[in-house]
Amino acid sequence: MALLRFDSDLDSFTSLLSLQEELERFMRNPAFAMGPSGFGAYPPVNIFDSPEGALIVAEAPGLDAAKLEVSGVGHTLTISGERVFEPNSDGWGYHRRELNEGKFSRSIQLPEDYEPANAEARYEAGLLIVRVPRSEHAKPRQITVQTA
Amino acid sequence: MAAKETREIATKEKQQLAKPQEQTRPGRYYVPDVNIYEFEDSLKLWADMPGVKEKDVNVTLKNGVLTIVGQVATDMYAGLRPLYTEYNVGNYYREFSLNEDIDESKIRATLRNGVLELVLPKKEHAKPRRIEVRSV
Repeated sequence: MALLRFDSDLDSFTSLLSLQEELERFMRNPAFAMGPSGFGAYPPVNIFDSPEGALIVAEAPGLDAAKLEVSGVGHTLTISGERVFEPNSDGWGYHRRELNEGKFSRSIQLPEDYEPANAEARYEAGLLIVRVPRSEHAKPRQITVQTA
Repeated sequence: MAAKETREIATKEKQQLAKPQEQTRPGRYYVPDVNIYEFEDSLKLWADMPGVKEKDVNVTLKNGVLTIVGQVATDMYAGLRPLYTEYNVGNYYREFSLNEDIDESKIRATLRNGVLELVLPKKEHAKPRRIEVRSV
C-alpha cells in the first residue's frame, strides 16, 4: 500500500491533490470495523495509521473545547460534546441557517492492537485529533538473526 | 428551550463545489455551511471551515459579491496512511450577492475553532432611520 508522499519540494497544492486521491480510495473501507456507530454518525472521522499508532481526525467545527469529552475503554474510543450556536439575538432574522447544532456522542471500535485508554486528544482549527498508541506487543520489532 | 437540549447533531455530507469558475490551483473545493443573520446595523455570517488556519482565509467584497475562500492545511497528514475515511479534505469556496449596502472598509473577520465569523457593517445610508411622525 502506498504511503502518502509529501516531499518537501512539492508545493502544498500538489500534496492536497494526492491527499484527496488517497482519501477517496479508502472512503468507507468496509474492512475496518467501526463498532456501534459507523458512517453517518457525527462527527465524521478519518483514521490514519502511523508507526506509533492510529490518528483519528474528526471534523467538528465550532465546539467549546471544555465541553468536549474523549474517553477510552478497552478497544473503544468515545467522543462526545455539544455545539451551541448563539448569536446575541437582537437581530431581525436570518438569511441562511445551515450550521449544525446539538449534542453528539460517537464510539469507535479499534482493532486489538491499539490502546484507546492511553490516547491523547487535541482540538485545533475545528478538528478533533486523537492519537491512539499501538500497544507494546503490537509494535513492529526487529528480530536479530543469530548464527549458530 | 427544553426541546433544544435533547436535540442531536446531524451529519451532513460535504458538498463539493460545482465549479463557478475555473480554479488555477488543483484540488477539490467544498461549499462551507453558513449562517447569515441580519441586524439593524450589520449582517453577520458564520461559515464552517474545519482544518483552515487564520492565515489561509481570504474574504473579498467586490461589486456587491462577497467571496470567502479557505485553503485547508495538509501538513499534518504527512507520512500517514489512511485506514478508514468518511470525508474528503479540501479547500472551501462560497460566493454571495449582497443586497445590502455594506461598508467594505469596516468588515471584520475572525476564525475560531474552524468557524469563520464575519461582521459586515451596513453603510450609513443603508441603515434604517426612524421617522418621527408629527401631529399637526
